[in-house]
Amino acid sequence: MFELRKVEKRFPGVHALKGIDFKIGRGEIVGLVGENGAGKSTLMKVIYGAYQHDGGEVLVDGKPVRFHSPREAMDRGVGMVFQEQSLIPNLTVMENVFLGYEKQFVRFGKIDWKRMAEATRHQLEKVKLAIDPATVTSKLSFAQRQLVELAKVLTLEERVDGNLVILLDEPTSVLAKEEIELLFTLMRDLRKRASFIFVSHRLDEVIELSDRIYVMKDGAVVDAVESGKAEVEAIQRKMVGRDINREYYREEKQRPYDEGKVLLELDAISLPGRYKDISLKLHAGEVLCLVGVEGAGREAILRTVFGLLAPQTGKMSIHGSPAGAVSASQRVAHGIGYVPRERKIEGIVSGMSVFENMTLSQMDKYTRAGVLDIAAERKLARDWIKRLSIKASSENADCGNLSGGNQQKVVLAKWRSGGSDIILLDHPTRGLDIGAKEDVYDMVREMSAAGVGVVLVADTLEEAIGLSHTIAVVKDGEIKKWYNCPPGAKPSLYDLIHYMI
Amino acid sequence: MTLDRLKQHFPWVTLVVLILIVGAMDPNFLRPQNLVELAGDIAPLFIMALGMTLAIYIGGIDLSAQSVANMTTVLATITLPLFGVFSALVVIAVGFLFGAVSGLVTTRLKVPSFIATLAVGGIALSVGQFASGQRALYMDAGQRDRAFGWMLGSTAGIPHELVLSLVLLAFAWFIQNRMKAGRILKAVGAGELAAVASGLRVDRYKILAFALSGMFAAIAGLLFSVKLSGGSPTLAEGFLLPAIVAVLVGGTPLTGGVGGVLNTLIGAMIVAVVRASMLYLDIPATSQQIFFGIVLIVAIALTIDRSKMRIVK
Amino acid sequence: MLTQDNLQKWAPLLVLVVLVVFFTAVNPNFLSIRNFARIAIASTPALMIAVGVTFVILMGSIDLSMEGSVAVCAVLFATFFAALGGSLAGPGLLAVPATLLVGAVFGAINGLVHVKLRIPSFMASLSMGFVGIGLSLLITGGDRILVEDPLFRSLLTVRLGGFPLMTYVAIVALLAGWFIQNHTTIGRNFYAVGGGEDLAHASGLNVNKVRVICFLIAGVFYALGAMLAVAQIGIAETVTGRNLMFVSITSVVVGGTALWGGSGGVWNTLIGVLIVNVIGNGMVVIGLPSYVQDGVLGLLVITAVYLSTDRRSLSFVK
Repeated sequence: MFELRKVEKRFPGVHALKGIDFKIGRGEIVGLVGENGAGKSTLMKVIYGAYQHDGGEVLVDGKPVRFHSPREAMDRGVGMVFQEQSLIPNLTVMENVFLGYEKQFVRFGKIDWKRMAEATRHQLEKVKLAIDPATVTSKLSFAQRQLVELAKVLTLEERVDGNLVILLDEPTSVLAKEEIELLFTLMRDLRKRASFIFVSHRLDEVIELSDRIYVMKDGAVVDAVESGKAEVEAIQRKMVGRDINREYYREEKQRPYDEGKVLLELDAISLPGRYKDISLKLHAGEVLCLVGVEGAGREAILRTVFGLLAPQTGKMSIHGSPAGAVSASQRVAHGIGYVPRERKIEGIVSGMSVFENMTLSQMDKYTRAGVLDIAAERKLARDWIKRLSIKASSENADCGNLSGGNQQKVVLAKWRSGGSDIILLDHPTRGLDIGAKEDVYDMVREMSAAGVGVVLVADTLEEAIGLSHTIAVVKDGEIKKWYNCPPGAKPSLYDLIHYMI
Repeated sequence: MTLDRLKQHFPWVTLVVLILIVGAMDPNFLRPQNLVELAGDIAPLFIMALGMTLAIYIGGIDLSAQSVANMTTVLATITLPLFGVFSALVVIAVGFLFGAVSGLVTTRLKVPSFIATLAVGGIALSVGQFASGQRALYMDAGQRDRAFGWMLGSTAGIPHELVLSLVLLAFAWFIQNRMKAGRILKAVGAGELAAVASGLRVDRYKILAFALSGMFAAIAGLLFSVKLSGGSPTLAEGFLLPAIVAVLVGGTPLTGGVGGVLNTLIGAMIVAVVRASMLYLDIPATSQQIFFGIVLIVAIALTIDRSKMRIVK
Repeated sequence: MLTQDNLQKWAPLLVLVVLVVFFTAVNPNFLSIRNFARIAIASTPALMIAVGVTFVILMGSIDLSMEGSVAVCAVLFATFFAALGGSLAGPGLLAVPATLLVGAVFGAINGLVHVKLRIPSFMASLSMGFVGIGLSLLITGGDRILVEDPLFRSLLTVRLGGFPLMTYVAIVALLAGWFIQNHTTIGRNFYAVGGGEDLAHASGLNVNKVRVICFLIAGVFYALGAMLAVAQIGIAETVTGRNLMFVSITSVVVGGTALWGGSGGVWNTLIGVLIVNVIGNGMVVIGLPSYVQDGVLGLLVITAVYLSTDRRSLSFVK
C-alpha cells in the first residue's frame, strides 16, 4: 500500500538517498536499521513529508504522491512518532495532541476545552496513559512524552479513512522494560488499522517485532531481510559493510593502562537530581566508559568534570591536587578537554575558520599583550590538518562547512594540540560515517598510547565495549556495576543491559 | 563565484550603486569634496554605530547608546572648565562604566541585553537630567577651542572628524581582528555554547563588549557636544535607531558573529547617502521618513545573509 | 506553596503590591480613587499597545513599529472623523471601525514584509515604524488635528465609579485579548510558535500564516491604543505614538513575558503596564524630582525581570 521506487535525494555535496526501494503492506511492521549517517533519517523525512524526493516515485495505494509538508503526509495517513523532543514544552498535553487540528473543537471562534480534553483522554487511553490532558508537557517524564507522541499520531485513526503508516523513531530508547512491552503490545493490536515503520538500533527488538527488515548503508538499502531469516550478526555485518569484529574497534591496539598514574579522581560526588555518590579513578592511558540509558546521568558527570556543573558534595582531584574553582576555563588550564555531544553547537564554532577553532581553547599561548600571533596559529592548524588528515581546503576554511568527521577531528585537534591529557568524549562518533568513526577509534587508541586518559560516553554499547579498558554502568545517577574490559575478555551486550535498565 | 560568496559583498555593492544613482541624478553629488564632507558629517553617528557593532557582534544590542551620549554632552560641558582636555578621559571612563554595568546586568542577572541596556539607558538619562538641571548648557568658546579645537576644522580638505572616525575605526578593527578579545567576541557571537565549552571566560568578554560600546557612545557624545559647543540631556536625540540601522544595513546581523566594524563603515555611509539623496532628489520634507523606511526595507532585504538563519524570527 | 516556580510566576504582581504599599506609606494620598483614576488614564493607551505587542513577543518575535502605526492610526482616525461629520453620534462613528481596519492593514503589511522578504521582525518592524511616521507626516503635513467632539471626549471626561469611560473600554479590550490568547486557535498557536517553531511546523502548523495574523491582530490593538490616546488629549499628530515603543515593550517584559517567547500573556502585561505607570505616578506623588524617574524605572525593570526569570533553564542570554 505504501511504496518507494528508486527514490533519490541529493543535498549540496551529498548524495543522501540512492535509488531506495521500500515497500510496506497493510498491517505490516517493517524494521529500518543502519548506522548513524546511513540515511535513515533522510529516508524517514521523505516518507513523512519534511523533505521532498528529487528522483523516483512515492506511491500510496499504487498512485504516485508528493508530500510538500508533514501536514500533507498526515492527511494521507502517514504520521511520525518523534523521539520525545518534538512536543512543544510550554503547551498542555491536549494542545500538543491536536496542534494544527484544533478546528474540530472550535465553536463560534472559541475552543471547547472540555471536548478537546475528552477527545485527548480517548487518545491517551489508546496508549494506556492516565494523565490529565491539561498537564503542561514539560512536567511529564521522558517515557510519558513518548507515549503522548504516539497518542498524537494515533489521532490519524479518526481523521483519515483507510490505512495508516506510522513511523517510530527509536521509540524504546527512553522507555523502561514494561513500557517497551506495552508499546509492542499496542503496535500489534493496532495492526488492524496501521502499518508501522520501526527504527531502532536495538537489533534484537527489531528482529522480534518486524515482518521485514530493511538495512541501510551509505544512503542505499543494502538488504531486505524477511523475518525468520534475520540474525543479529548478519544484519550487523551488512550495516557496517563487513565483519564487526575486534579489528573495527582497534582492539589489537588496546594496551594496558598505567595503574600507577591517576589523572583524575572523583570521590563520592553527588548532585541531587543528576547523579549520586560517584567515585572513580582515571589512569594515564585508560579509556573509561560510562554506559547507561538516556538521562541516567552520564552527561552530567562529564559536565561536572569539565567545570560546567558543580557537585553539591564530594571531592574531585586532578593530577593529584584538589580541583579548585568550578569553571571550565580553570579545568582547561589543568589539562581537561571536552568533546561535547552536540558537535555543531558546542564542539565547533561554525562561521569561524579551522585555525580559529583549533586555538580557541589555548589562545593565551598565541597572544602577546593581547595581540594574536595569527601566523603561528595558522602554522599549528596546518600541522594538525596534516597529522590527522583533516579534509579542509585550507586552515582558513569555515569549520561549519566541513563534514562531521572532519569537524570532530578539529575538535580533537583543539584539545590534543593544547596538551590536554584528560579528554572527555561525549558521543564522539554520533552522526559520523563509518570511515570517520574508524578515524575516531584510531585517535582514541593513539591518545591512550600517549598517556592520555579518556572518559567516554559512547554512541552504542558495542562501541563502549570495543573501546574501553573499564566500564561503569550508570543507572539513575548511580554507578551500579564495574567491568574490566581487556581485549578478548570483554563483557557482552546483555551483561550491560541487565544493569542499565 | 557562488551566490553565497557574492552575498558578503552586497553591502558595499549597494553603497556604490546608491552613490551612482544619486550621482546620475545630480553629478555635483559625486564631487570628492562633497563625498568627503558627507562622510565627515555623520562622524558622531558612525562612532556610536561602531560601539553598537560590538554589542550586536556578540548577538546582543545596546539601546543605552543614545542616553549615554546624551549624558556625555552634559558631563563634558560641566567638566570642561575643570579638567580641560582631560575631561575627555572622564566622560570616556563614565561611558565605559555604564556599558560595563549593562554587561554585568546581562551576564550576571541574565536580563536580556535589550532590556538591560534600555534600563541602564534610563539611569544615564536621569544622571544627565540631574547634572544639567534639565536645561541646555553651553561651553565657553575659548576653553572649548583650546581643549578640543583639534576635533573640528579640516586639513587639506579632509575634515578632522573624518580622521577621528577613521582612527577609531582602525582601533576597533584592530581589537576585532588582531586581538584575543576580538576573537573571543566573534566566538561568542557565532557560537556562544562552543566558546563556553572551550573554556573561555565568555562573561568577561561580553561585559567588555558592552563597556566598549558605552565608551564609543561617550566619544560620539563628546564629539557632538564639541561640535555644538554645549550639552543637554536630549542633544543626541534621534541617533539610536539610525545607528542600529547603520550596523544592520552594513551586514552585521542581530544574531551576531559575522560582519564587523568595517561593515558598519559601509552601513553608516549607506545611511548618509540615503539621507543626502533626499536633498538631491528634491524629496519633500514630509515624505522623507517614508522614503527612508522603504529604502531601509529594500536595503535590508538585499543585504542580509539568510544562509545562517535557520529560523527568521 | 512558595516554591521557586511560584515565586517566579507571581513576582511581577508582588513587585506591584510592594510599590503600592511603599508609595502609600510615604504618602497616603497615593491610595485614593482620584489618584488611581489618574494612573488608569495614563495606562490605557499604553496598555492597548502593550497587549498588541504581547502577542508578537509570545511568538518570540518583536514589533518596533508601534510608534509609526499609532501615528498613522491617530491621524487617519482624526481625518476620517472630521470628514464623516466630526461627531460620534453620527456617521463619525464609522471612523472607529475604519481605523481598526487601518491598524489591521498596517500590521498585516508589517507581518508580510517580515515573512515574505524573510527579514527578522526587529528590522522589518523598525523600518515599518519609519514608514508609519512618514505616512502620518505626509497626511498632516506636520500639523496637529484637534478632535473636539464632546461625545468622543466623554471617554475621558465622563466618569463611572470614579474612573473615566476609556478605562472600561480598555478593560473590554483586555478581556478580548485574553479571549484570543486563551480560547482561540490562533492565540494558542502563538504559544506553539514561541515554544518551538520548528516543532510546530513539523506538526503541520502554517507558521508564516500565524505570524502574519499575529502582526495583524497587534495592529488592531495599536489602532485602539491610538484612538484612546487621541481621546486622552484631544489631539492627533505625528508624535502621538512617541515613547510608546520602549514603554510598551518594557511593560510586557516587566510583567513577566519572556522576550524569547512561549510564556506569559496579557494578564502579565496588565501588571507590567501598571508597574511602569505606578512608578511614574508614585514618584510624583511622593515628591521625587521627575529626573530620577527614568533611572528608578530602569533599576526596577532590572529587578522585576531578574525576579521573574527562570535562570535554571537558561544556558545563556543575549
